[in-house]
Amino acid sequence: MSPDPIPLRSASTLECRNCGAGAPVDEHFCRQCNRILAVQRFGDYFSFFGVPRRLTLDAADLEQRFRDLSRKFHPDYFYNAAPAERLASLERSSYLNDAYRTLRNPVSRIEHLLAIEGLPPTRHEDSAVKVPPALLEEVFALNEELDEIRELREAGGADTAALAARLASARKPIERKRDEHERDVQELSAKWDAQAEGEPAARKSTLETLRERLLERTYVNNLLAGIEREAQSLKPSSESPEPTAQSPKP
Amino acid sequence: MAYSDKVIDHYEHPRNVGSLPKDDANVGTGLVGAPECGDVMKLQVKVNPVTGVIDDAKFKTFGCGSAIASSSLATEWLKGKTVEQALAIKNTDIVTELALPPVKIHCSVLAEDAIKAAIADYKSKQTQDKTSSVGAGASV
Repeated sequence: MSPDPIPLRSASTLECRNCGAGAPVDEHFCRQCNRILAVQRFGDYFSFFGVPRRLTLDAADLEQRFRDLSRKFHPDYFYNAAPAERLASLERSSYLNDAYRTLRNPVSRIEHLLAIEGLPPTRHEDSAVKVPPALLEEVFALNEELDEIRELREAGGADTAALAARLASARKPIERKRDEHERDVQELSAKWDAQAEGEPAARKSTLETLRERLLERTYVNNLLAGIEREAQSLKPSSESPEPTAQSPKP
Repeated sequence: MAYSDKVIDHYEHPRNVGSLPKDDANVGTGLVGAPECGDVMKLQVKVNPVTGVIDDAKFKTFGCGSAIASSSLATEWLKGKTVEQALAIKNTDIVTELALPPVKIHCSVLAEDAIKAAIADYKSKQTQDKTSSVGAGASV
């Protein structure tokens, strides 16, 4: 789901392969000869759709733009065109689908914004972003609790209703945390949008905080997924008992 | 992609799982995590205050087989080393020993981070101890 790696090039024009005219990178058709332009993976999905680089998007407007462009790029219309144009139509259509999928989802939209603003998702090797120690403690303690519940269940003979209740109470604080994160992300997104004309340093710091929150969000969601799996296994006579033996993740 | 025999061995028979008293002045605790995969790793060392040698090391890791194996191996290596020698352990040593594939290198980085964090915690306790020797034994 993460966006394509963004080639950080500063090219601002495309060349029409048909007539050789130059076109801005966010044009889809040559202004001179009207032919479809070969797509450049320049990476900015916002400008591809002709929308401002904001995190608040009108979903209906985006869908409309997607539909309009889909129609314009559709390979059926290029059936008799030159091979280069047929290829361009195909590539542009596929790129459009990626762009739409990415911008439609609020989280991948933020990830994409971070990437084109020069803050790509962190790898662990690059330890620029650290998880707050308090969150680590919480994640660790919850994992321990989850482990204990799992062991008791696997040992058999335990009161599954009691275990389920224990699991439910373990889940509460982490769910609260998730809600907090969602709120934070929304607030920060609104802040970014309001800062469109603001100081570059302030805008950058908003993005950095956004990146941290997204990372923490991943953590919390992974943990919640683990709790959810255990909750399924604790369901009385569940129709599909899931094998949750601690197998190593791939 | 298959795990190497060594990874599987450490995964199935992890060494030194457990914990040491966190508030002990000679125990250093490192807690690190990799949010991308949801892993969290706790590694502790107990240092002999006279010799500066690590007498005991324990870990507990919630994560994939490679993360468990990396931290298990780290605790094995830590025992008997001085604090300074411990800091010289590099993630690449772990990668080589466990034959970790490229996608699992971050697990070894996590283990190295955990060692560094544990030792930093031990060192900070030592300096604190000297400045406030009266408060020794008081729980935090």
